[in-house]
Amino acid sequence: MTVTDHVPPAAAADPGPAARAVDLVKTYGKGATVVRALDGVTAQFDRASFTAIMGPSGSGKSTFVHCMAGLDVPTSGQVFVGQEAIDQLNDAGLTKLRRDRLGFVFQSFNLVPTLTAAENIALPADLAGHKIDPAWFDFLVDQLGIRDRLTHRPTELSGGQQQRVACARALIGRPDLIFADEPTGNLDSKSSGELMAFLRRSVNEFGQSIVMVTHDPRGAAYADRVIFLADGKIVGGLTSPTADSILEQMKQLGN
Amino acid sequence: MWKATLKGLLAHKLRLALTAVAIVLGVMFVSGTFVLTDTLHSTFTTLFNGIYQHVDFEVRGKAAFSGPAGSAVRSPIDQSIAQAVRKIPGVADAVGTVTGYAQLVATNGKAVTTSGAPTIGLSFNPVSQMSSLHIKSGSPPTSPNDVVIDAGTATKYHFHVGHKVHVLLLGPPRTFTLTGIVTFGTANNLAGATIAAFDLPTAQTLFDRVGRYDAIDILAKPGVNTAQLQRAIARVLPPKVEVVTGQTVANEATNSINQALGFFSTALLVFAFISLFVGGFTIFNTFSIIVGQRTRELALLRVLGASRRQVFRSVLAEATIVGLVASVVGLGLGVLAAVGLRALLSALGISLPSGSLVFELRTVIVALLVGVGVTVVSAISPARRAVRIPPVAALSEHDVVATESSRRRIIVGSAIAVLGVIALALGLTKPAIALVGVGAVAIFIGIGMLAPLVARPMASVIGLPLAGLLGIPGKLGRENSMRSPRRTAQTAAALLVGLALVSTISVFGASVSRSATGSIDQAISASYIITAAGGGGQGQFSASTAGAAARVPGVTAISTVYTGEFKFRKDLSQLTAVSPNRLAQTIILRMQNGSGAPALTAGRLLVDTTTATSDHLVVGSTVPAKFALTGNTHMQVGGIFKPNSLLGSFLVSDKYFLSHFDNPLPVAVLVRSAAGATAAGKAALNAGLRAYPNLKIQTQAEFKASQQKMVNQLLGLVYVLLALAVLIALIGIVNTLMLSVFERTHEIGLLRAVGMRRRQVRAMIRSEAVILSVFGAIIGVVVGTGLGIAFAASLKQQGITDIVVPFSSLIVFLVIAALLGLAAASWPARRAAKLDVLAAIASQ
Ligand SMILES: Nc1ncnc2c1ncn2[C@@H]1O[C@H](COP(=O)(O)OP(=O)(O)OP(=O)(O)O)[C@@H](O)[C@H]1O
Ligand SMILES: [Mg+2]
Repeated sequence: MTVTDHVPPAAAADPGPAARAVDLVKTYGKGATVVRALDGVTAQFDRASFTAIMGPSGSGKSTFVHCMAGLDVPTSGQVFVGQEAIDQLNDAGLTKLRRDRLGFVFQSFNLVPTLTAAENIALPADLAGHKIDPAWFDFLVDQLGIRDRLTHRPTELSGGQQQRVACARALIGRPDLIFADEPTGNLDSKSSGELMAFLRRSVNEFGQSIVMVTHDPRGAAYADRVIFLADGKIVGGLTSPTADSILEQMKQLGN
Repeated sequence: MWKATLKGLLAHKLRLALTAVAIVLGVMFVSGTFVLTDTLHSTFTTLFNGIYQHVDFEVRGKAAFSGPAGSAVRSPIDQSIAQAVRKIPGVADAVGTVTGYAQLVATNGKAVTTSGAPTIGLSFNPVSQMSSLHIKSGSPPTSPNDVVIDAGTATKYHFHVGHKVHVLLLGPPRTFTLTGIVTFGTANNLAGATIAAFDLPTAQTLFDRVGRYDAIDILAKPGVNTAQLQRAIARVLPPKVEVVTGQTVANEATNSINQALGFFSTALLVFAFISLFVGGFTIFNTFSIIVGQRTRELALLRVLGASRRQVFRSVLAEATIVGLVASVVGLGLGVLAAVGLRALLSALGISLPSGSLVFELRTVIVALLVGVGVTVVSAISPARRAVRIPPVAALSEHDVVATESSRRRIIVGSAIAVLGVIALALGLTKPAIALVGVGAVAIFIGIGMLAPLVARPMASVIGLPLAGLLGIPGKLGRENSMRSPRRTAQTAAALLVGLALVSTISVFGASVSRSATGSIDQAISASYIITAAGGGGQGQFSASTAGAAARVPGVTAISTVYTGEFKFRKDLSQLTAVSPNRLAQTIILRMQNGSGAPALTAGRLLVDTTTATSDHLVVGSTVPAKFALTGNTHMQVGGIFKPNSLLGSFLVSDKYFLSHFDNPLPVAVLVRSAAGATAAGKAALNAGLRAYPNLKIQTQAEFKASQQKMVNQLLGLVYVLLALAVLIALIGIVNTLMLSVFERTHEIGLLRAVGMRRRQVRAMIRSEAVILSVFGAIIGVVVGTGLGIAFAASLKQQGITDIVVPFSSLIVFLVIAALLGLAAASWPARRAAKLDVLAAIASQ
């Protein structure tokens, strides 16, 4: 089988960006204790591109991703996934959006503990009542090297294996966009490298779009572009980054 | 999603099994009741159909009106009718039958008593085809000295053919020769009743039916058109006498047994539903905790695209499966319980004709519906909470819980409780039992919703002595119980309901007992009260007793008390009769208007003040009344008396009573002795009445004590049935504590790591359990006391005049609840103490 079989169809049909945010603001709390987690963020994520989001702890990275994915509601501003303004969607619409058009990988607690690895991978399709594409499933499982772990429960898997299972689950439905929030946060450098390489390949070879939050400059170097956040604002960006250029930028922003 | 649901179920087998126990027990109770009563029903139908199989027709007096429980009151008919019937072509034979009171005396000189069933005397029908009695050994009675008795009694009391048997009768007791032992149809006896049968002329004499029959059984010639024959028979009958088919009689007999069974099964079902209701609380609690513990998992499912409806359905599906499995298990156990109960009944001497178990489709349907229904309904609220979990909860480091405003809770809870109180009040005043039930259920639900408001302060106060006593473990236990007031209240809710019901019964019972007996010295002035032993205080005894007692030296006055049903205006009411001669020596009658003894002697009716007020009666009022024997009449009110705990509402003289009832048996004989109640006086009475070993001769104090004992025995039975509900509540507490231990694995590991000993871990869990139970018990006892007072107060008209709150019993309940809590904690506590420290800390 050749890799070109697996180009996401949406990428060809819809030429616009995979998602964009317009002047996003998100505040928590009221009065004196109000926190502006996002303070007017405007950004665009192209199709078949890999974007990394970086910034100090508490800068609003997770909040940004949650708002983009329709998991949290911004205080103001707009989010578009493809052409669709998601603030127009009700809970059922958001649920369907997540299920059918988005993929997720988190730092931890990615998997349902009572289900096996294989069942976890198939979960979004199961929820939708769809059949998964068995060839695509086999391909992903082999690429991620988790074939011999498919019947295991999450507690019987290592951290790296769990993240690879989560990646397979994110990719299985060929979503328009995958959001990953510190997917390698709990992994050693070798496992991190393998996972990043896989995400990079999925962008190159199957045209997958990915937005990833990370603290690791070496991981961010796999991306096509880096966005820097601080205090809820975009404070910088790099295209075609390297670990060194990222470190350089981080130093400048730190000053 | 189904896969996730199923896997979730399998992963938590233990906690769900514990949850299911509540439903298993409730369903077992329901299905056991159905199987038992269905089986008894079919058994009796078969029995009576068999007995009346060859009786083609029965001629009998027409029923004037139906007495309680559908029993018709009929007058005897003239025996000459039998000759007239026998002459009709097509009639093969017609045999008169009579029935009456005949109580056997065992070889040890004690009267043979039953647990409520009658002691029946019968005429033996020599035409064996028509006879309900079949000779098992010996021969039928043929002379005035012969008797045959049922095989059940013969076996139990070691009577053998040829023995002399002493029999208590309407008139003086007599001795007979036992010529045979009989079965009733195919049964050894009739549901615990004892049977003594005599030849027809003897029976007529013994039961005061000389020249009369109670009924005539008719055998038709083979091949006769039955409808025509029935018409032919009807033509020769005098007015007020009817002819019915044997099948009709069989149906009536079956129906009256079924009515009694219906009462029995309703009573059992009430307790079954109480158990299920309490079970519902534990299920609600378990599912709430499960949803709480699975917040992250459910939120993750929502992130990955599970819709709200899918989450809701998955929780309900889990409930359905648990409910279904529990119901099936409960159904199976119910059948076993029915078998066991039947064995128990026959061990108690209620020998039943053998018949196979009846397992109706209805039993299965109701059991499954009720079991699954209760489980699913109880899980609805937790499922709705699951739906409110926001997807972000999966991602945030801090616990995001779906919150529900406590304001809404207060409003809804109060509204439900208030509506419950209104329904209860309406139900009690109407009275409408269903409304009372609905009201009580609503009150419990409302209180369950409001309980979290007081859980924190109450747990803090209850826990204070524990913290002082046990140090750190006690303190931590107290903190744990205060940590989530909602969880504490939910866990305690089931026990709350259980104890509320126990307290209700306790208050109600104490009030009944006091009202019935507290004022006996205000009601009678007699030295002794003679009643019949056995038969739950309702035993029968010979009318000749009074005469025998009057001949005892020292006795100055005697009053025979009768009671019977009559229609006062349109209502079936109870009439009491006493002897007006020297009335003041036996009874204390405080007249408000009119005269007492003179009015009674003049054949007037006395009514109590309550009835006078409610029925607008004054001295001189004339009221229509109806007696089964004598038909319509008018009664004139001769006086109005202040309520008397023993006399009821309507009082006449014994003479008047006897003119309207056919040889009634007395319910009591009141005896006044010149010397008052003395040991010598009692011994003299005992000696004078030696021929009547079924009598209980008691002083006022003894009578009072035995009445109280009876009430207490009944209460004991109710407590036993309620114990199941309390047991279910305890299982709920075990379940919650197990879940808490599991939930706090990490925390307990930490405590152990920093030096808490196993014993201290156990003490911590136990403290929490005791606080939970005492919290539930206190609220339950308070609510139950309120309900008990309401019930008792609503029955003031029915004679519950004193309201008593038995504080000592209520305190005992609290102590028992605390001990039960301690017991419930033992398994979870051991489990917590056994946690592997390293694994506990490593676990996420
Ligand atoms: N639910 C919440 N309630 C109140 N404040 C919140 C909430 N979630 C996030 N915040 C605040 O919003 C700000 C941004 O948080 P966010 O989680 O987006 O940071 P982050 O960049 O992802 O940090 P990290 O690198 O540590 O994950 C922080 O100051 C945080 O305290
Ligand atoms: Mg973050």
